[in-house]
Amino acid sequence: MAPWLAGFFALTFGPMIASLYLSFTDYDLFGAPEFTGLENYQRLFADPQFIQSIKVTTLYVLLGTPIKLAAALAVAMLLNARRRGLGFYRSAFYAPSLVAASVSIAIVWKAMFIDDGVVDRSLQIFGIELGGWVGNQNMTMPMFILLAVWAFGGPMVIFLAGLKQVPTELYEAAEVDGAGRIRKFRNITLPMLSPVIFFNLLMETIGSFQVFASAFIISGGTGGPAGSTLFYTLYLYIRGFGDFRMGYASAMAWLLVIAVGLITILLFRSSKAWVHYQGDSR
Amino acid sequence: MNSARLSKTKRLSSVAAVAAAGSLVLAACSGGADDGGEPGSGGTVDPDEQISLTVTWWGNDDRAERYEQAIDLFEEEYPNITVQPAFQAWEDYWTARATEAAGQSLPDVLQMDLSYISEFGSRGQLLDLTPYVGGELDMSEMPDSLLASGQIGGEQFGIPQSTNTLALFYNPAIVESLGMEPPSADQTWQEYVDWAAEAADAGASEDPTLYGTGDFTGVLWLFVQHLVQEGQEVFTEDGEIAFSEQDVIDWLNLVQPLREADQMLPAERATQLEPLGGFTANEAATEFSWDNFLAGYLADSGAETIEMLPLPVGSSGDRNQFFKPSMLLSAGANTENPEAAAAFIDFITNDAEVGAIFGTSRGVPATETARSQLDVEGVDAQVIGYEEEWADEITESTPVLPQGFGSIEAEWLRLAEELGYGNITVEEFASQWFSEAEISLG
Repeated sequence: MAPWLAGFFALTFGPMIASLYLSFTDYDLFGAPEFTGLENYQRLFADPQFIQSIKVTTLYVLLGTPIKLAAALAVAMLLNARRRGLGFYRSAFYAPSLVAASVSIAIVWKAMFIDDGVVDRSLQIFGIELGGWVGNQNMTMPMFILLAVWAFGGPMVIFLAGLKQVPTELYEAAEVDGAGRIRKFRNITLPMLSPVIFFNLLMETIGSFQVFASAFIISGGTGGPAGSTLFYTLYLYIRGFGDFRMGYASAMAWLLVIAVGLITILLFRSSKAWVHYQGDSR
Repeated sequence: MNSARLSKTKRLSSVAAVAAAGSLVLAACSGGADDGGEPGSGGTVDPDEQISLTVTWWGNDDRAERYEQAIDLFEEEYPNITVQPAFQAWEDYWTARATEAAGQSLPDVLQMDLSYISEFGSRGQLLDLTPYVGGELDMSEMPDSLLASGQIGGEQFGIPQSTNTLALFYNPAIVESLGMEPPSADQTWQEYVDWAAEAADAGASEDPTLYGTGDFTGVLWLFVQHLVQEGQEVFTEDGEIAFSEQDVIDWLNLVQPLREADQMLPAERATQLEPLGGFTANEAATEFSWDNFLAGYLADSGAETIEMLPLPVGSSGDRNQFFKPSMLLSAGANTENPEAAAAFIDFITNDAEVGAIFGTSRGVPATETARSQLDVEGVDAQVIGYEEEWADEITESTPVLPQGFGSIEAEWLRLAEELGYGNITVEEFASQWFSEAEISLG
């Protein structure tokens, strides 16, 4: 316990307190931090780029997370059946999520979506002329959501484990009562799976708020074109390490902590209405 | 080079001769570095001590190759010094340096830019090289005015490596394919914009569409040069902005007709073409840039020839261009081997062979010795020829840049992209840039 505690205070708690203090200062990495009170926080809300970064991130969380979870659940249900070669499919679907956050994939992704890239050319076969997605400020968000959805392997594996836990007697009883596929899904699978859905929703939402590497690589560290990929953490990074405004960046970091904290609390509150634990009913 | 600078060189060299005499004795003792009494071959670096020197620069593979060659020569001359080189692209370079500066671990020698020198220098991150001038650092060939650009408050934080000045590049092949005459050297800014509009109309039916120009108003340095051209102060001595929002709006409005009529390379296309630009992708006939970009332009575009014109004239009819040090070399304040660092900077600045290795890829070399070995033909000759041809109209001095210039330059570029994508108006550009600059320069 003691080594862990030492690590916690030196590497986690200490830096957090330091960053909280820095968020009330003007600190440029070089000189001593200068106390400015709430100025950083006040400036943030008058900063059009800050507002833009919130818009981009919120859109990403609101669209990307549900689509990713839906894809993960759909594939998990397909893979829950007993078929030949299942092990291969499970690995194949899980593989992308192992590499999705890596720098190399972001580079490949960018190469696929640039003008005259694979995606552009494939779409042209079907007569769709979108040009390169990377340069089009309206197409960068769909591209990022696709990248997120493509890496659905993590939640998929957890869904798969959850699906295994649903007692088959329930489905058999429902079939006797004449329930169809949709009814079984709505009345048995979803309620029985709700704790797992809740867990995945929570983890993916928190994860989505922190997307950074792919945005950094694909936009070349700028959040461009025209701020369309200015994710919150990327903007935080630009302020802290690009403009030497660590106090400002610290304030942003703490607002992110508060926002994610509030959303977590809200999700937990709402979960009482729709998450059913097996212990409740038995 | 221009005569004013040469006369200053002479004046300074008499001062340096005294210092050089002293250092020759030391050079004799040190035993190394004695090929023909070349400038900068003396020093107080202890030849018996094994020294490791970290050196870093921004640039591409081409520059890295040239640095490697120069470093090999340096290591031959100073066998006891081992150089550990590193380089990054421009954006990553400054992020890495900022992080190092915060940790007091800057490299021994680092390539420095005018935009960032006060950022680092005035915060005590850079070594004051003044004590080494005349010793390891032979600055006898460096014009005073140029040397001054590396000084802050009388302390020498960087040694200019080369000079450049802005130019209007054009690709004769594209101009011809548009059925146009090249822009003239004596045009006004408005005449240039009119020319670009005509070029865009001529290129509209081509595939890909050809344009006369891109949005050059998005280059902060060009705006700075424009202000200087109009005789207007750019930054005050206290590092405050000396121009107004209206000046910015007027400048951006210069190409507003082109923006509205889609008569210049669209921002979207520019993003798609990255890392090339519209000019290097052969989709724009002209581009403003620093004259040392010529070699890169030729390599990237594959064009047979690229011609250079001076900037359009200002409202007074005068050109009023300035020379800017295209880059400097500095030493980290935390270096444990300041003499070796100074010796390295000296070697890169003055050595004739190093001059031949770099050519004009970093700008026209700042010292005559380094220039002396350059090719009399080809790219180097063209760049030097350009600077010599227009030297009489390169009359102004580079504005002194405030601390935080790097940030406001990046912000200008970002807003230009937003403007190009039609997300903001020129008025919003101006007001957003000013509120950002207030914080960055404050």
